[in-house]
Amino acid sequence: MMSVAITARDWVLGRYGWIRDRLNRKPTSVAKRVLVNEILSIQVLSAALFGGLAIASLYWGGQWVLQDNYGRWALQWTEELNELGSPLYLSDDEEARIRLESFVERYPEIDRVSYFSKDGVALFSVDNHDELEAAKDLTADKLDDAVAVIGERKPYVMNSGFLNPRQFEIIAPVWTESIVDDGLFDFDAAALEAETKTELLGFVGIHLDFVIFHDRLLANIKGAILILLVLLIAFAAYGRRALQRALSSISDLEEPIRQLAKGNLGVKFEPAEHREISDIVEALENTASALSERDAKLLEMANHDSLTGLFNRRRFTEELKKEIISVMRKGHTSALFFVDLDQFKYINDACGHPAGDRLIRKVADELDRSVRRDDVVARFGGDEFAILVRRTDIHGATSSAETILSNMRRMAHIEDDRVFHVHCSIGMAMITGDNLHYDELINQADIACREAKSAGRNRLSIFEGSADGREKDTADVGWMNRLRKAVDNDEFELRFQPINRIHTGETTHHEVLIRLRGDDNNIVSPDAFLPSAIRFGLMTEIDFWMIENAAKAYSVYSVPARTLRFSINLSANAFENDDLVAHIETCFEKYKVDPKDITFEITESLAIRHPLHVERQIAALRDMGCRLALDDFGTGYSSFSYLQKLQFDYIKIDGTFVEDLMNNPVDQKMIKLIAEIGAEAGMETVAEYVQDAESLALLEELGVDLAQGYFVGRPTKTPMHKSTPISLDSRRMRIPVFPQSS
Amino acid sequence: MPRNGTRISKSITYALILVGILLSGCATLFPDAVPQPVEPPEIVVVDTTPLETIKVTPLIRKPWEFELPSVAIVITNNQPAYADVAVELAERLENYEVYDLGDDSRPPVSVLRQINDSNTDIVVAIGLRAAQSSVAMSDKPVIFSQVFNHQDHDLLSENSRGVAAIPPLDAQIAAWKKIDPTLVRVGVIIGEGHEELIEQARLAAERHEIELRVQVTHSDQETLYFFRRMIRDIDGFWLFPDNRILSGRVLQEMLDDANRQQVPVAVPSVSMLKLGASLSITTVAEDIARTIVKVIREIKSGRLEELPPITQLSEIRVETNGAIQVVER
Repeated sequence: MMSVAITARDWVLGRYGWIRDRLNRKPTSVAKRVLVNEILSIQVLSAALFGGLAIASLYWGGQWVLQDNYGRWALQWTEELNELGSPLYLSDDEEARIRLESFVERYPEIDRVSYFSKDGVALFSVDNHDELEAAKDLTADKLDDAVAVIGERKPYVMNSGFLNPRQFEIIAPVWTESIVDDGLFDFDAAALEAETKTELLGFVGIHLDFVIFHDRLLANIKGAILILLVLLIAFAAYGRRALQRALSSISDLEEPIRQLAKGNLGVKFEPAEHREISDIVEALENTASALSERDAKLLEMANHDSLTGLFNRRRFTEELKKEIISVMRKGHTSALFFVDLDQFKYINDACGHPAGDRLIRKVADELDRSVRRDDVVARFGGDEFAILVRRTDIHGATSSAETILSNMRRMAHIEDDRVFHVHCSIGMAMITGDNLHYDELINQADIACREAKSAGRNRLSIFEGSADGREKDTADVGWMNRLRKAVDNDEFELRFQPINRIHTGETTHHEVLIRLRGDDNNIVSPDAFLPSAIRFGLMTEIDFWMIENAAKAYSVYSVPARTLRFSINLSANAFENDDLVAHIETCFEKYKVDPKDITFEITESLAIRHPLHVERQIAALRDMGCRLALDDFGTGYSSFSYLQKLQFDYIKIDGTFVEDLMNNPVDQKMIKLIAEIGAEAGMETVAEYVQDAESLALLEELGVDLAQGYFVGRPTKTPMHKSTPISLDSRRMRIPVFPQSS
Repeated sequence: MPRNGTRISKSITYALILVGILLSGCATLFPDAVPQPVEPPEIVVVDTTPLETIKVTPLIRKPWEFELPSVAIVITNNQPAYADVAVELAERLENYEVYDLGDDSRPPVSVLRQINDSNTDIVVAIGLRAAQSSVAMSDKPVIFSQVFNHQDHDLLSENSRGVAAIPPLDAQIAAWKKIDPTLVRVGVIIGEGHEELIEQARLAAERHEIELRVQVTHSDQETLYFFRRMIRDIDGFWLFPDNRILSGRVLQEMLDDANRQQVPVAVPSVSMLKLGASLSITTVAEDIARTIVKVIREIKSGRLEELPPITQLSEIRVETNGAIQVVER
């Protein structure tokens, strides 16, 4: 015989399969609460609560009324029992006893009547129930209480329990009264009270149990509860239907609201019957209307430039995409113009941003007027515009561009009683079947525009789609991405090239140089990437990065024994940024840099290009305590008046003068002249690109104070303090620059 | 003998009392002059002339045959029930002194001692307290009156006799029967010790063809208890002035029950008419005084031992409550 061992759980699960199903069942979704049920529950609970309270009140009220009646009956019975009992005390009348028993039998509420002597000793009892215990003597307390009520209006003591109000115990004194001796001979009804003698005979104790009335009361209350329950059920059923009907208006809103949530703002709401729901419907309609307005506004904001009302870059890009598709499908050509205003920043700086904004609006109107209705004009930001000229060949496009240039040349803008002529540079890229990517097209037009600027501004430059040109553009775009990544990921590196005093050979400070590590991990010269950075507007960020990291290096490498001084190059873009000084202050404060130890180098062209702005920024830097150096001096406009006006601390002679110094008397003379001017103006001169000892000796001869170059010291990762190796021989080999005769 | 000053002042006091008593007595003597009661009950004076003429067997000889002795009249207090009798008695005596035990300035012992020391021949005690004091302390013969439960106080002795406190029973039944000829069953509740009175009442009732139902009780509660059981079976209730078994509350309840059951109640006090009694049958002060004088003469003539313990009165006074309608049966 096989015996199979199974667990109790298995047995249960085997026998009652539904339990397994129940256990294995997983909740599919969270049950939603139903509003109708909740409201109904609240109402039913409230009704039940009030009903319960009413029934409780009924019960206690009924009890109170019954108790009050019990008291009245008890008083009456006490009097009757007093009357019935007193003969028993005095004459032991058998008939009186029978009458007493008959009396007790008549009232089933009376459990027992007991008579006690004056001392409280139980004399005899008459019981209605056989199971009662024998009557006990009265306690002293009860005796005292009973004696105290003799002659009172309610001559009895009634005790009842709070929780068992149907049962009472009454103790009443039994006493006789008699008129005083001879009182009847001169009877005076008014004076009888005073002329009464009292004699206590004993006490009567009555134990009452109003079970019948109590049971009737309970039966009534049960009936009331039953009726209440029936009413509650009926009320719940009716209430549920009424609530469902009332809330159906809300349910009807579900689909329109769902449509509204999906973005269908034209959804229609059915008018509601109820005022409250009608208010909600009205609010929802208002919401839909407001959302429509807001969407329209957002769409407007998303597609248009807020200043000019022209399409913005995003919307223009969409139009461009469509046009590219059109070109692809229909085979025609179109043109894309990238327009950049010339010297706009000058007006902005000279007359303020509101004036700049007014000018931008005016230019936008002019551009819009200058093109056909189908063409699209957009503002890309700042002073950059783009124009899509649809269905045109290169001749038509060139003609359109010339028209724009012509109109812009004629346009005059008056601001603060000053007349500004704002010209623009236009880069043009043709949309043909070869270049079907919008981003590429915009870059092409942008590059062409910059070429137009480079070529002297106020002109049109057409992007040439040659192989070389594309390669260069591709490289530029690559550099742009590489530089952006370097800025974002902190991939630049600093190098420190010493600048030594020629006479002593001592390092006075270091020029901070920026380097970028290429993909092959080799250091890339700034000459390779800085033009791209300038072209794509990344110079400001690079300059800011350099300022912060130079300050950080200052804090790292600065030692108390030796003063560390840095010279940092600033581009024109950085100088044009209003946050420059604030950024420098923040960095200096953060890294505890003494501004006296920092020299900022700006190019001669920058100083001359934005004299007002540069003057303001220089003043701010000077206020901080920084020093200033004019870089690449001698290659540009070389306005000596600026030298005096801006008060530089150093003049850095451009390396082209030093490179062939030993063989070029003109360079020697030029350097000597600059050195003399610097000396006269209280500025020290720095010669760059010093490659050998002879040049260094000659530079000292020419009056140059400081030297920088590979001979003096190569750029290093950390600032090195190393004296210049100047040999006596080299000094001796110096040749006279200017012959005595001349 | 009291000193002259005291006597004069006492005389003035007694004179004032007598004037007051006479004035109030007039109301009694002349029913028409009785002041109208405040309450609605109308006092109807029944013509009692025939009853007044009822003469009990003569007890004594003619008054003028003997000289009246010196009498000390001792009253419990000066309430009308006692003072009226004293006044009437004083009018019939030649030599008397009145002592009021209600005057708290002198204790009864002092009063009785004075009486004993005087040349008083007989003491007349009116009221229980006066009777108790006199019987206990007087060495003179004592005649007491206005005492109903004398047996409770052992007032009868060789040296003392009493005058009935209630009118003659036969006359009472006769008067009531005259007022209510349908009267057949009369209930009586009385305390212990009145067996002789009960027997006399039974005889009087029989003479007038009335069934008398008597119940002896011991307390007011018991009285009420038996009254309520008796009331349905009687045509009238005869209330005796037994204070031991009556209280004001019980009296009122009895009268209320009787009115509810329309059973007339004969009471021994006019004042009880106000409580709802049907008729009052009371003694007459002059009758009491005359009876006392008769007893005095008998004692004076040396026939004290021959006198009955209680000498019955001969007159009654009946008043009915106009508000109570006697039901024809």
